[in-house]
Amino acid sequence: MPIRPTQRPTFAVALYELFNPIPPGFFVAAWIFDILYMKSYQPLWTDAAGWLIVIGLLMAIIPRVINLVQVWFGHRYPQGSAIKTHFWLNLLAVIVAIFNAFIHSRDAYSVVPLGVILSTITVVLILLANVQLALRPRVGYGDAP
Amino acid sequence: MKHSHRTLIALMITAALSACDTEATLDPQKQVGPNPELPQAKNFLLPPMQVPEGVAWKEGETPKVPAGLKIEKIASGLMHPRQVYVLPNNDVLVAEANGTPKPTTRPKQLIMGVVQQSSGKGGKGGNRITLLRNVNGQWEKHNFIENLNAPFGIQLTGNTLWVANADSLVKFPYQTGQTEIRTPGVEVTELPGGPINHHWTKSLLASPDGSKLYVGVGSNSNITENGIGAEYRRAAVLEVDAASGASRIYASGLRNPTGLQWEPQSGKLWAIVNERDEIGSDLVPDYMTSVQENGFYGWPYSYFGQHVDERAKPPRPDLVAKAIKPDYAISSHVAPLGLLFYTGDNMPQYRGGAFVSEHGSWNRKPLNGYQVMWVKFENGMPVGTPQPVVTGFLTDDQKQVRGLPVGLAMDQQGGLLVADDAGDAIWRVSKE
Repeated sequence: MPIRPTQRPTFAVALYELFNPIPPGFFVAAWIFDILYMKSYQPLWTDAAGWLIVIGLLMAIIPRVINLVQVWFGHRYPQGSAIKTHFWLNLLAVIVAIFNAFIHSRDAYSVVPLGVILSTITVVLILLANVQLALRPRVGYGDAP
Repeated sequence: MKHSHRTLIALMITAALSACDTEATLDPQKQVGPNPELPQAKNFLLPPMQVPEGVAWKEGETPKVPAGLKIEKIASGLMHPRQVYVLPNNDVLVAEANGTPKPTTRPKQLIMGVVQQSSGKGGKGGNRITLLRNVNGQWEKHNFIENLNAPFGIQLTGNTLWVANADSLVKFPYQTGQTEIRTPGVEVTELPGGPINHHWTKSLLASPDGSKLYVGVGSNSNITENGIGAEYRRAAVLEVDAASGASRIYASGLRNPTGLQWEPQSGKLWAIVNERDEIGSDLVPDYMTSVQENGFYGWPYSYFGQHVDERAKPPRPDLVAKAIKPDYAISSHVAPLGLLFYTGDNMPQYRGGAFVSEHGSWNRKPLNGYQVMWVKFENGMPVGTPQPVVTGFLTDDQKQVRGLPVGLAMDQQGGLLVADDAGDAIWRVSKE
């Protein structure tokens, strides 16, 4: 059955597509840098990871707000649909990253291990969100099946 | 799905709130003396932080002193006065400085800068030395040496005046009675400086014969977060040869040693040391200690002997094993920045003891320090518990602070001089 796109403001969609890929890139880089710090003890890596998490969070504001509106206003997606799961997993990733930003304000090796664990969880949550959105049917996105 | 997310979020908020439970649980009195009680080290989501708001001294307002003593303001309108030094003719030198610009390398520094500014600790330093002279009871102010770089330590040996800038030791010729020096200083040696220069103050003490100068050099970080390479010749007392400028590390592992003084009875070198932050309201107690030649006092790898700090990596068990336990703890986060062994006659009750100025805590709830205290010495070692002498820098509700005590000195009449950096003033305490 042909998919009929729902009415979504073009500008918001463009803005979303522009900003949405940026935070995952920053969070993945932070995760790699955390592992490098854990192994090397060189503070360059944990300092850089701290910036990556903060900037990743700032970059996440616009796409997350647009996504919030797209998911919860004007549509009625069923519970547990790929779209809603994507929303919740991303929200959780942002919350974890906020905690992680504070953990990364600790000095020297007290960032390890909790900072590395939270960086890993952030990356895994975003990965799960995106993969399940890609693989599962997007119920409610176009025509209901 | 949705429900389980909510549970998770609720759990995380609970965890965050419990991590904010950072109040001190130990009475500071239990962290005073040779064997302070040391709780378990903790890491925090947000370390304990409490800073009073900086306000100006009102007309007529002064710090408080015990009955039988009086306190008077002998200078005001200075630019962040940090050290006082009395010349043989009773002129008083005041080093005015507040560090050097630092690069911002971590997000937390942006927040800490705002906190510091609101607490009155961010005043602009004068980068100069001002001379105060008492002429028939009136205090004159002279611009003594200008264009220095965050000066802190001052010493006079013979006709040579030594000044420890944030990054160099310089000397000037001085004749008794001079009120200004305009000849450029001669650099004797570089001292560990920028670009970070985290603990920038360089305290200074000459040996009794004037042949050696001892320089207290603070660490370049709280706990090596700027890399161990940034700590070269830091967290140490350096010994500089006055004639050649050659220097060596005299003692190390002292995180931020200031107030270098000779203990009058034993003739030993003493220092006060600011210990590390962010592992709890009651860790790690600051201390005063005799400084042994070639001694290692723990920083960054351990504190109070063999208490290992897990934040400093890679670990150095070899250094931890030889870490010397300091002589006398003065409780956590009080931030001692001035030490004076009192030998005067004006206040005989304080003879044979040491005054310590406590700049005051930021990394502790509730506040600690914010006073000048006195501790008795017997046979060259501190005994008993300290007693407060100059207080009232904080308002009674601890919400505001009007001044902060830093450098201490004794004038020729035996009066106690206190530099007040946040209040831009110099106070003099004497018998009523």
